[in-house]
Amino acid sequence: MTDLATATQSGSQPVAPAPAKIAVRNLQFHYRDFHAVRNVHMDIPERQVTAIIGPSGCGKSTLLRVFNRIYAIYPHLRAEGEVRLDGENILDPGYSLNRLRSKVGMVFQKPVPFPMTIFENIAYGIRHHESLSRADMDVRVEQALRAAALWDEVKDKLKHSALGLSGGQQQRLCIARGIALRPQVLLLDEPTSALDPIATGRIEQLIEELKRDYTIVIVTHNMQQAARVSDRTAFMYMGELIEFGDTEKIFTKPDKKQTEDYITGRFG
Amino acid sequence: MSTRIHRRRHAKNIAAQVLASAATLLALAFLVWILWETISRGLQAIGISLFTKITAYADQGGLANAIVGSAIIDAMAIALSAPIGVMAGAYLAEYARSTRLGATIRFLNDILLSAPSIVLGLFVYVIVVLPMTAVTNGTTTFSALAGSIALALIGLPVIVRTTDEMLQLVPSTLREAALSLGIPQWKLTVQVLMRAAGSGILTGVLLALARLSGETAPLLFTAFGNNYMAFGPLEKMASLPAAIYQYTNDPNPALHAIAWAGALLIALFVLALSLLARTVFARGKTSHD
Repeated sequence: MTDLATATQSGSQPVAPAPAKIAVRNLQFHYRDFHAVRNVHMDIPERQVTAIIGPSGCGKSTLLRVFNRIYAIYPHLRAEGEVRLDGENILDPGYSLNRLRSKVGMVFQKPVPFPMTIFENIAYGIRHHESLSRADMDVRVEQALRAAALWDEVKDKLKHSALGLSGGQQQRLCIARGIALRPQVLLLDEPTSALDPIATGRIEQLIEELKRDYTIVIVTHNMQQAARVSDRTAFMYMGELIEFGDTEKIFTKPDKKQTEDYITGRFG
Repeated sequence: MSTRIHRRRHAKNIAAQVLASAATLLALAFLVWILWETISRGLQAIGISLFTKITAYADQGGLANAIVGSAIIDAMAIALSAPIGVMAGAYLAEYARSTRLGATIRFLNDILLSAPSIVLGLFVYVIVVLPMTAVTNGTTTFSALAGSIALALIGLPVIVRTTDEMLQLVPSTLREAALSLGIPQWKLTVQVLMRAAGSGILTGVLLALARLSGETAPLLFTAFGNNYMAFGPLEKMASLPAAIYQYTNDPNPALHAIAWAGALLIALFVLALSLLARTVFARGKTSHD
């Protein structure tokens, strides 16, 4: 408990209320007959890190996967309610998926590099959305790799297969691939759960740097991680959003008993 | 702890092991025997004339036209079946994975996979050879092309099935990663998933080639056979399996030896393809871990 408290205090100034980048209103999510997310309301602030925590099966990943509608590739899943990105409801069938996914990037639990060269992994997504000259593409790829703190490690082997990188490098490559499209929001679904502590540390440091430019939403099983990297924390339980507030407050004096029980390890 | 029940289990275990090992040995023994007969009898007739003389001069012993014919027919067959098979497999895995239509197509494909090859030969005779004869007033009847179509029908279900299975093995996270970049489904399928499953798909194509290269029955009513060298796809064409069939039906024992040599060539070709398929697949696997 004291570890958690110091972890939050060390990196925290009082968090200024930021305008909502993503406004969730009355969101319901169903897997066929299972009501997985219920009545969620939340305002995700711009250029801050919002962590979503909760026990397995609480709906936190499901919620994250609504924000870029990636759930829609599977049959029998449906989301109802509103998720407004800059005021526009992305659940509106008229909202173009292409546009949504160029605005909202996603990084998954396991690093999933494409079976291509390191350079192509980054360039592939860019090429689909923009046509750049060779020189411009080189610049964009370098920028993305630098932003993901990977450039120095891979600059001499851009033409090598990305499958030869270590797990931590692959995950940073996936982050680079996401930010290469210059999205506004970055969704991270347990991005370090398959990585060792050193690689995890590098990703967390990277998240800290990326929040200057991006609105970041991270789902994590690791409460210390939520405490270390996030400005705001949402606690979910059984498909409901139990509490959502400043990370420091959630981890030191939460309003709800369930939140306190979870973060002090009484269940979950 | 050597109670009665334990001793009994131990005895049962040994009995099961002995029976299973004996069955394996029996199966292996026949395989080795077949290979041994093919190699020892085939080697006797292998010589330079096998590759230079054609079947028309049977006394001098040659399979040149049959080797060339098989190469042409098999190449055309795989050129026909590979693109269609890979695309159909991609459809099943990526667009119809858990639909009723997909399940129905998979079932029909499995039926085609086990269809007797002579039925496919007769089918192609009816839908290709007879119409061709009618249209050309008999100038073109049996043809290498018809043979290739019949063999393509043998290879097709193998390719469909392996492509489908290999694509299904690609983790769905790779799909999600590409789709979350806004990449559309067709690009994802062709440029990401097929590359990820590339070695597996290629293995399927090689195995299909191995399977169809040994087929005789589909060629009898389609490519027919030819004692002279032929290169045109609309000509009657010789092939190794058909030449073997022809030679083994001949009373002349010298021709039987040539038939064995032809059988050895096919066996070696299939063996080489299987080894190649294993290497390709193993290399593909290690590069993904």
